[in-house]
Amino acid sequence: MQDRHSQNEQTAENLPLRGIKVVEAAQGVAGPFCGRFLAALGAKVIKVERPPEGDWSRKIGPFLPGNVRSECSALYLYNNMGKESVLLDWETESGMSALETLVSSADILIEDWDRAYREEIGLTTDRFTSLNSELIEICATPFGLTGPYSRWKSTPIVQLALGGYLYLTGNSSEEPLMLPGHQPDYLTGLNAHNAVQIALWERARSGRGQFLEMSMMENLGVLHQFTFEMETYSGVVRNRNGLQWNKVGPFASYGITTLPCDDGYVAFGASTEDQWERLCAMLGREDLLDDPEFDTRLKRSQKSDTLDSLITDWMKGKTRQEVFLESSEKWFLPVAPVLNLNEVLRDPQFVQRNLFQPLSHPEAGEALYPTFPFAMSEIKPTVARAPLLGEHTSDVLGGLA
Amino acid sequence: MNKSGYVEGGSLSDLRVLDLTRVWAGPLATRIFGDFGAQIIKISDPRTPVANTNGVNNKLNRNKLSLGLRLDKDSGKGIFRDLVAISDVVIENFRPRVMRNLSLAYDQLKAINHDIVMCSMPGFGMEGPYSEYPAYGTTAEAIAGVPSLIGYEPSVPMPTGIAYGDPISGLHAIGAVLASLRNRDIAGGGQFIDVALAAGPVITTGEFLVASSADSYEREVYGNKHTHQSPHGAYKAAGDDNWIAISVTNDQEWMSLRSVADDDRLSDPRFFEFEGRKQNEKLIDQVISEWVANREAVDLMNLLQNAGVPAGRVANSRQFLNDPHLAARDFFVWLDEQEFGLKQYEGQSIPGNYVDKSNWEPSHQMGQDSRYILEDILGYSDEQCHSLASEGAVAFNRELPTSDQRD
Repeated sequence: MQDRHSQNEQTAENLPLRGIKVVEAAQGVAGPFCGRFLAALGAKVIKVERPPEGDWSRKIGPFLPGNVRSECSALYLYNNMGKESVLLDWETESGMSALETLVSSADILIEDWDRAYREEIGLTTDRFTSLNSELIEICATPFGLTGPYSRWKSTPIVQLALGGYLYLTGNSSEEPLMLPGHQPDYLTGLNAHNAVQIALWERARSGRGQFLEMSMMENLGVLHQFTFEMETYSGVVRNRNGLQWNKVGPFASYGITTLPCDDGYVAFGASTEDQWERLCAMLGREDLLDDPEFDTRLKRSQKSDTLDSLITDWMKGKTRQEVFLESSEKWFLPVAPVLNLNEVLRDPQFVQRNLFQPLSHPEAGEALYPTFPFAMSEIKPTVARAPLLGEHTSDVLGGLA
Repeated sequence: MNKSGYVEGGSLSDLRVLDLTRVWAGPLATRIFGDFGAQIIKISDPRTPVANTNGVNNKLNRNKLSLGLRLDKDSGKGIFRDLVAISDVVIENFRPRVMRNLSLAYDQLKAINHDIVMCSMPGFGMEGPYSEYPAYGTTAEAIAGVPSLIGYEPSVPMPTGIAYGDPISGLHAIGAVLASLRNRDIAGGGQFIDVALAAGPVITTGEFLVASSADSYEREVYGNKHTHQSPHGAYKAAGDDNWIAISVTNDQEWMSLRSVADDDRLSDPRFFEFEGRKQNEKLIDQVISEWVANREAVDLMNLLQNAGVPAGRVANSRQFLNDPHLAARDFFVWLDEQEFGLKQYEGQSIPGNYVDKSNWEPSHQMGQDSRYILEDILGYSDEQCHSLASEGAVAFNRELPTSDQRD
């Protein structure tokens, strides 16, 4: 595997964010995930980490093998691809002064200083934008900087709970289940990138910078499917229903269900009338199309256990991949195997899209890194490794003097 | 929205977006453009009217103009091409072959408008072995491996319950389109963007995939149990299906939890450190479950948070819509829907950028803006509009009789 670092520096000059300088003081996932997009699109991203340990995600796993554990966190390595790392303690006077100097010539500042922390170290929201009127500062915190929860602590499960997601995953009446890893933070990072892109658009026209205060809880709120409309239009509280789609309200339907076959589970999505007809044809049960017991979506959803067992019988002796290919190619049904991570890494569709690229890191060695779900005809986002802690301190701070 | 279709003041007010998207991921993306003032021309086939009684399409189609247009008719295609010539962005989420078969693929649109940015959002991407396969957010998350990371036990995967592929794909489209527009303004020329629905949730589980590729991740799926935090989970509080999520991230938070819960069984000094708590997690969970069983989730949340312990009530839709924090932050918006009256919706999580919710427009009915788009934007004559209506290429809701009514 080759180290793509130097190669990418040459191509960055053709990318849309060329010439944009970003200072990232955020830690964990939300802010850094935003910074990762900016770096991939050509910005120079200077990640400022507080000594001695740096970004807290360096202590969170999973870890790649390597002698220096703080350089081997896959969470850090993934979210900080293509950045430079500078050790700087903004809680000291000289550190803050160095940060101010960095930010005064920057276009974007990404941070995650919540209300409690701002009060603790005496940091007002206009500290940096007042130094640089063209600065776009994005502050991504769990609850935002105002409101009754703004001094509260949060973690992904707390975020998912208050954001209305936790309630929707898992078996009905059993403990609701969290999404894996750091999903609220990733969703926030994605939208923080969108916020910065919109602000860059604004700045290109008006010359104005902005302080953008983003709440993770609100990010979950805008990404609900029809949870709130079930309530506001039909008076139904959406519930969780395990492997089957919810059976209540106007969205009750059969066909969105996860079922076992010979080598694992398959996700089916056959909710429309057309798809119901094709599903019956696939199962060799066209007779159901004339059966008054199954002639509405609601009735079918109430018979979901019966229908599940028909599909399960049909899948006997088939692998996930066989079910997937037959359902998709021949019957044009939205069906997919539930893959495990190693299978995802080898999936032919993802491989063909170059969704994973090999990178080598001096401490953590070689691994495959997910790139981006989008492909662009004229832009090739850079894919480069994450920095070592303080790898660029002297380059960056030396240049300030 | 003012007469021109622009939300006044939004930072994207100088953009025009042609929106051919359906279902969720695509309309979510164009909703963001519309919220920030871009003129969204939502193009729908009049033969398949957009359902609105369940509210989802209303919520996604705010701040959008509606043009009822048949792209399979030559005159309909002509109108679309005229619009492409004066637009910045085209977004669609059909199967790859649909736009090709209509002779409206990127290269053909680029011949009309060299600077057009086209974003396609198919299930699996424009090319590759699965490219023509259908996908939903629910099946996309499955092939991306997400359900394999959720469950009560490792052998049974659990879907998210929220069709997770869709919102991720929608959010990716925004950033890619805006970056392309910036590129257009700097270097000239448009862009074709291919966002694969199924690839979206792969991106948000990156750390697990990176580690797996180096054979250094062992999947550990046991409900809400956490490798670095203990206790960690959702515990059943008073009432019907009310739960409180608690996660203790360090020893100090444990001491706070212990003092609030005030149960002798939690005083064991072995529990003062993570390893001891993790080893005795069952007992600790048992004590917490007993403690919360007859208490209100909201009270527990306030009690724990005020003591410095991360905790949150497991909100259902009703509780989220009534959340006092969100109300204090003016998160929600009420829009006066034509058929349904005032309805509460989520506002916008993207801050700033001169967005003004008081200018937001509820969803429009099919073809409501067809006449405005044809006459005022494209300069068609009244006679041309009547002719297009009579051949059924354009639907003019309420403003012009449809061909059926004229016959």
